[in-house]
Amino acid sequence: MARWAISNKSFTPVAVADTTAFTDNGYLALQGGSSTQRSNILEVQLNGLAGASTPQLMELARDSTVAVTSITAGTNGRGPVALDPSSAALAAPPLAVGASTTKPQRSSTLSLLELGMNAFGGIVRWVAAVGEEIGVLGNTASLGEVSLSAFTGGTPGLTSTHIIFEPF
Amino acid sequence: MPSLKRHEGYLLIDNRDGPGLSEADVAAWRAAGKDVLAVPEGKKHEAGTITCHHCQAVVILNPARTRSRNYCPKCDHYICDTCEQRRAQTLECVPFKQVLDELQEQNARREQLGLGAASILLP
Repeated sequence: MARWAISNKSFTPVAVADTTAFTDNGYLALQGGSSTQRSNILEVQLNGLAGASTPQLMELARDSTVAVTSITAGTNGRGPVALDPSSAALAAPPLAVGASTTKPQRSSTLSLLELGMNAFGGIVRWVAAVGEEIGVLGNTASLGEVSLSAFTGGTPGLTSTHIIFEPF
Repeated sequence: MPSLKRHEGYLLIDNRDGPGLSEADVAAWRAAGKDVLAVPEGKKHEAGTITCHHCQAVVILNPARTRSRNYCPKCDHYICDTCEQRRAQTLECVPFKQVLDELQEQNARREQLGLGAASILLP
């Protein structure tokens, strides 16, 4: 299948503890497009855009509460966008989540990757090996949504990010 | 015999143009149980990663590690410390892809019956 991306070109992560509602435009999440849809996350990248030192702990984790109602990618969020222009449109495209009525909450036990970075010039990139990608299934907790958000502490700063995935 | 290195992902933390993170910056996160690397100013850190085959948590490989890495001989993959504890107690191997397959099957059946998707809360 084709590879797709969701992204946010400029947002300031809002630090929250596990199992606490995210703040709109303070995170980026990927939610499945239907109850049976599966996707594999292939790559995550974060680029620091801040103008002063801003240590932050960005966490890729499954969400124990998923976004519901009025889901959008947020102010600067985009996607999903096909990486290859010849990709066929998806019948039920996965959702880029940056804002919603019911806010997602990061699971306290299903953390996938902890990425400490300084948003003042820091670059972080993780790429999965073939066959070792992170799976997303359906659109309900706790397998249907994976988020990239800031954990409590530090002073999160302006960041851009993308998540590349492959729905199938 | 194929090497287990074929399962390794790649992590880059590039702080060549920024202040990076000091040990003091990450101390509070580590105290909260988060496994955070402190890559200081001017440094670029590249590391292999493994995705635990039983829970899909990503483990950043420490090249200085002297303990053997946790390995499940049934699925021929590396697993994380938490899953190794469980495997040592139960001797069970349940790959995460199997969990996804079974739940996907279950959701498809529920959809055919007009029921909502099954919700699963892992440990």
